Amino acid sequence: MASQADYKDRQFIAVIGDEDSVTGLLLAGIGHVTPAPDSQKNFLVVDAKTDNAAIEAAFERFTTERKDIGIVLINQHIADRIRYRVDTYTAAFPTILEIPSKDHPYDPEKDSVLRRVRRLFGE
Amino acid sequence: MSGAADREAVFPTRQSLGLMKAKLKGAETGHSLLKRKSEALTKRFREITRRIDEAKRKMGRVMQIASLSLAEVTYAVGGNIGYQIQESAKSARFRIRAKQENVSGVLLPTFESYQTEGNNDFAMTGLGKGGQQVQRCRETYARAVEALVELASLQTAFVILDEVIKVVNRRVNAIEHVIIPRTENTIKYINSELDELDREEFYRLKKVANKKQRDTAAGDAEMKKKKEEQDKVDASGQENKEQEETGPTDILADAAAEDEDVIF
Amino acid sequence: MEGLFFNVNNGYIEGIVRGYRNGLLTSANYTNMTQCESIDDLKLQLGPAYGDFLASLPPNPSTSSLAAKTTDKLVSEFRYVRANAVGSLAKFMDYLTYGYMIDNVALLITGTLHERDTRELLERCHPLGWFETMPVLCVATNIEELYNSVLIETPLAPYFKGSLSHQDLDELNIEIVRNTLYKNYLEDFYHFVNADPDMAGTPTAEVMSEILEFEADRRAINITLNSFGTELSKADRKKLYPNFGLLYPEGTLMLSRADDFEGVRLAVEGVQDYKTFCEAAGLGGGPGGPGNMAGGTGSDGRSLEDMFYQKEMEISKMAFTRQFTYGIVYAWVKLREQEIRNITWIAECIAQNQKERINNYISVF
Repeated sequence: MASQADYKDRQFIAVIGDEDSVTGLLLAGIGHVTPAPDSQKNFLVVDAKTDNAAIEAAFERFTTERKDIGIVLINQHIADRIRYRVDTYTAAFPTILEIPSKDHPYDPEKDSVLRRVRRLFGE
Repeated sequence: MSGAADREAVFPTRQSLGLMKAKLKGAETGHSLLKRKSEALTKRFREITRRIDEAKRKMGRVMQIASLSLAEVTYAVGGNIGYQIQESAKSARFRIRAKQENVSGVLLPTFESYQTEGNNDFAMTGLGKGGQQVQRCRETYARAVEALVELASLQTAFVILDEVIKVVNRRVNAIEHVIIPRTENTIKYINSELDELDREEFYRLKKVANKKQRDTAAGDAEMKKKKEEQDKVDASGQENKEQEETGPTDILADAAAEDEDVIF
Repeated sequence: MEGLFFNVNNGYIEGIVRGYRNGLLTSANYTNMTQCESIDDLKLQLGPAYGDFLASLPPNPSTSSLAAKTTDKLVSEFRYVRANAVGSLAKFMDYLTYGYMIDNVALLITGTLHERDTRELLERCHPLGWFETMPVLCVATNIEELYNSVLIETPLAPYFKGSLSHQDLDELNIEIVRNTLYKNYLEDFYHFVNADPDMAGTPTAEVMSEILEFEADRRAINITLNSFGTELSKADRKKLYPNFGLLYPEGTLMLSRADDFEGVRLAVEGVQDYKTFCEAAGLGGGPGGPGNMAGGTGSDGRSLEDMFYQKEMEISKMAFTRQFTYGIVYAWVKLREQEIRNITWIAECIAQNQKERINNYISVF
């Protein structure tokens, strides 16, 4: 509830995903690079070579450090790689949204929010 | 009495009885209000969870369509444009704005997407080949992102509502199971204490009355004795008779007055 | 006359390429592929044609890895042919690769402009456009160095020289750079097939002229259509049109003045094929404009680009009816590329469960 105060500045969508997902979302126009010199991107392309630490760092950066991001989109199979981080993340801002990727169809069973939904309904 | 120990630390006075009674009333009103709020929120919450469930499933479909349109771009451009896109992204065209919605006193943020004008990082992409597909893909993805933003709003609402409902329910339970019984206990305690005081007072007054009666009786006896002595001394018949008649009536009147005082 | 000595140097190559052409998937293969339920089924269907190359793929591979493996086959076959080619055919095949090289160099320019480590980009480059000195370009840290090394190290130097300075690389949109290069490349290629003593006046010149003219027209039309609504001015746009082709010069002049799809349609009216394409694409194109038909959801119409691909494939197919021509090598590469695109498309449709549009592939055999 305390985070409600800062929601006004959040106007970007960040994405952590595989190349195709990121390309598509960037095409939609969500990409934003802050002006030099620090030029921070609001997207991260993850491939087989990206290690989990880098994903976690990006996740951390998008969720805690940056105050201008309202929604973090993350491919489900990438969320799986840092599942414990995603599951323990409970803040309302920014919202974490798990999205399917091209090669990994969506599995509702893994989604941390949907699992909470299910638990609440006692299913 | 099980809750004898569980009461508030007050002096059992009439004033605190009044306070407690007001408090109990307040707690009951609060309880019913909170209960209603919790019900309203839960209703909303269930609706949201249902919509999340639907939206998440729909999202799978929407993203598939979007990926296919990206595949179409790859098909038309005949190569991977990913890197070029990543590098030419500069300023977000698609942004979100957060609004607040009031549900039973809870401020739920909702995201609203908007597109800034005249800000196109990818206008030239696929100029020689596949440009039309690129533009189309952008539209498809923009639609997909809109759906995602909607879902994100629902999800934020879900998280916040979840939290709020927990807090409200905790309060409802606290009032129902702790505050109300405790206040009731306190009232009972004060009442019983007051009764006790009353009984003590009654007993005390009775004692006082008894003593008074005894004192009066003793006084009467003395008066009588004195009169008899005077009678003997004076030996005047007329005056004595008149005095004897007034004496007993006075005593009776006194006793009646005292009785009235005792019973209240 | 040309047939007399052709086989001395090039007979083997021609035989090989014709053999490769027979290995292309036919409509019967495609029909089978569209019936597949999973990528594994698809892999099985591709077994006879691509056996060795797909063997190393894991079960249910991603569509991109499938595309990469099928491209590998094309590349290895191309390299084999190239290794056996001599004389002017070798030169011809080098020309073929320049088109891919332009894409690769454009990629490296993008990387350098954004100060990325360009070495990582090397693996993203198209293998057909690979040239030995490409890693050298990665040494360049700024655009001027890159420009100089491109001039020195690559066969693309003539395309840069005269039309692009190193400032241009910095200031112009990379797409304009790419299209300028491509225009120069097409013109050079066209000149080459018509001027080289080994090719001028032979079936090669005829076949390749037709293909290249078509390619030039296609680019001109596409650039026009895609530039609507962008900051590309008409004068700049005109500079990107190749100076030959069926539309040149009247058609391209009209194209350069076109403001909308209608203008394009008028400009290409002189050429029967393009006229029919435009009419087909314009019909029911609606306010969304041309080429929007294959998109959206579930529309079964074909876009202008689809029709161009179809036409390209037909031209390529026709090239095989001629003998003693290098054109078949070009045609084979194009046909094989289309085949890879078809496979990727079908795989994509299967993976995304969008079967209703699976038949949008282009098959000419």
